[in-house]
Amino acid sequence: MKYWQEALAVAQRILLELCRRQRSLFLWIMFPVFVLLLNGYILADQPQATLKGAFEAAAPMTLVGAALFFSCLGGTIATVVSEREQKTLKRLFLTPLSGLSYFCGILMAHSCIGIGQALLVYASAAFLEARFNGSLWLGGFIILLSIVAYVGLGFTLGTQVARRIEDVNALVAAFGVPLLMLGGAFVPLSFLPTPLRQIAKYNPVYHMNEALTGVSAAGDGVEAIAPHLYFLIGFALLMVISSGLAYRQMLTLERRL
Amino acid sequence: MLQIERLNKGYGDRSVLQDLSLAIAPGEIYGLLGPNGAGKTTTINIICNLLKADRGLVKIDGQPISGATQKLIGIAPQENLLYRSLTCAENLNFFARIYGLSRQTRLKQVRYCLEAVNLSDRAHSPVETLSGGMQRRLSMAIALVHQPRLVILDEPTTGLDIEARYEIWELIRQLRHQGTTVLLTTHLLEEAERLCQRIGILKGGKLLAEGTLPELQRHIPAIEIAIVKTPEEEQAIDRALTHGFTPRRYGSDLAFWLPQAMELSQILQCFQGIPLDSVCRQPVRLEHIYIEVTQFGSDL
Repeated sequence: MKYWQEALAVAQRILLELCRRQRSLFLWIMFPVFVLLLNGYILADQPQATLKGAFEAAAPMTLVGAALFFSCLGGTIATVVSEREQKTLKRLFLTPLSGLSYFCGILMAHSCIGIGQALLVYASAAFLEARFNGSLWLGGFIILLSIVAYVGLGFTLGTQVARRIEDVNALVAAFGVPLLMLGGAFVPLSFLPTPLRQIAKYNPVYHMNEALTGVSAAGDGVEAIAPHLYFLIGFALLMVISSGLAYRQMLTLERRL
Repeated sequence: MLQIERLNKGYGDRSVLQDLSLAIAPGEIYGLLGPNGAGKTTTINIICNLLKADRGLVKIDGQPISGATQKLIGIAPQENLLYRSLTCAENLNFFARIYGLSRQTRLKQVRYCLEAVNLSDRAHSPVETLSGGMQRRLSMAIALVHQPRLVILDEPTTGLDIEARYEIWELIRQLRHQGTTVLLTTHLLEEAERLCQRIGILKGGKLLAEGTLPELQRHIPAIEIAIVKTPEEEQAIDRALTHGFTPRRYGSDLAFWLPQAMELSQILQCFQGIPLDSVCRQPVRLEHIYIEVTQFGSDL
C-alpha cells in the first residue's frame, strides 16, 4: 500500500507537470502523428503498396521507434535530470519515499503517456483505413514491455550519465538516433545492407518493432514473434535491474543536503 | 526529543564532528551556530539519516535514527527545492502523499499549513510566480505538512529581505507556541538571539559553548561593550588597559569590554586627552560571544 501510494503520487506529479506545460503536451501529441504520416506516405510510395497496408506497417514502427522512444526514454532521462537540476531529488531523499516507488511512479507516468500515444497513433492510422490485425492483448503486452525497457534505460542513463538538462539532447542524439535507424523505426530494415541488418538483431528497438509489426500488421501470434518477445522480456528485465543498481549508486552521490 | 551522544564523523583524514553531544527538549527551539565548515550540515545529514556517523548515537523521541524516524522529522533545507510548475497546494499535497497521509488528513493539513504560513490566498498559484519569501514559507509548510515532532530549519532566512525575514520569524514563534521542537541553524546571530531558547556554538566539529542567552552572556566578563572610534587606537588601547577594559576588534570596530556599568561621561573621562570621533555603548550580545568563542577560543 505504501509503495502504491508513493508511486501514484510520483506519477500524478509528473503528469501534472506535463499538463502545466501545455506547449510541450501539444508537441508530444503532434510529433507521433507527423511521423506516422511521413512513414505511412513513404511506405505507400513503394511499388505495389496500398495506403492501408502502408499505414498498418507504419503505425508500429512509429509507435515504438519514435513516440515511445522519445517520450519514455527521453522523457525519463529528462524527468530524472530536471529533478536533479532543480534539486527536488534532494528534497525527495529527505522523505521516506523508496527507490522502488520512485521508479514505479516514473514508469506509471510514462506508461500513461505511452498508452496515450499508442491510442493516438493507432487512431490516426485507423483514420487512414489501417487496422490492428492481431491480438490486442499481445500488442498491448509488447507496448508495455517496450515502455518498461525504455523507462529502465532512461532511468539508468538519467542517473548515471546525464548531469544537466543539456545532456539529454546529446544522449538521445548519440544513443538514440543510431538505435532508431538500426531498429527500422524510420527506414525499413530491408533498405539496409546485410551487415547492418545483422547488427540490428542485437538492437532492442529492432525486436520491439518486429514484434509489434508482426502482431499489429501481420496478425502474428506468440509463436511467430517468440524470439523477439523473449529478447524484449530479457532486455526489459535487464533494464529494471540496471535502473535499481543505478538508483543505489545515485543515492550515495546525491543523498546529502 | 533529540539526543546526540558523542557523535563522530570524518571524511578520510579530515574529522568533521568530534564527540558532539547535545540534547533538545520537547518544544524547545535550539539554535546551532557556527562558521561554514563547522559541521552543522553534517550533523543535520546524520539526524535525517542521510549520512552514517562513524561513532556515536542519535535518538529522536527515544528511537535510534532509522528510515522510520524520517517521518518524525520535517526539514526545510537552505534552498527552497520546490516543484516550480506546481501550485503551492499541489506541492504540499504531493509531499503529504509521500508521507502516507490519508486523503482526509491531507486535505486538512494542506489547508492548515497554507494558513500557518499565510499563503492561503496563493494556494493555487504556481511556485514560479511566488516571491523568494513566499517560496521559503512554502518550503517551511512542506516541512510541517506531516506533523513532525522535530522540525529542522537550515538557515531559514538566508537571502531574504527584511520583511520576508520577519514573516519567517513570526512563523517560527508560532511553532514555539504550538510546542513544536525546532533545530535552527543560522548565520544571523540576531535571528538566534530573538528566537532560540538555547544556543550551541559549533566549530571544527566540536560544541564550544552551549546554553541560554543569559547563560552564555554570564561567561563574558563584561556588563557592556564600548565601541570607540579614534585615530589614536594604540593610545586608546593602552589607556583602556589601565582601567581594566579588555580590548577587542569586531570587524573594523575597536571595542572594549566594560567590567562594570558606566555612564557615557565616565567612559569619556577614561579616554581623556585622546582624540575620539565617537563612543557608543552596547549590551553584550550573541555576536560578541560568538566571536569570542569561534575566534579567540574562549573557554566558556
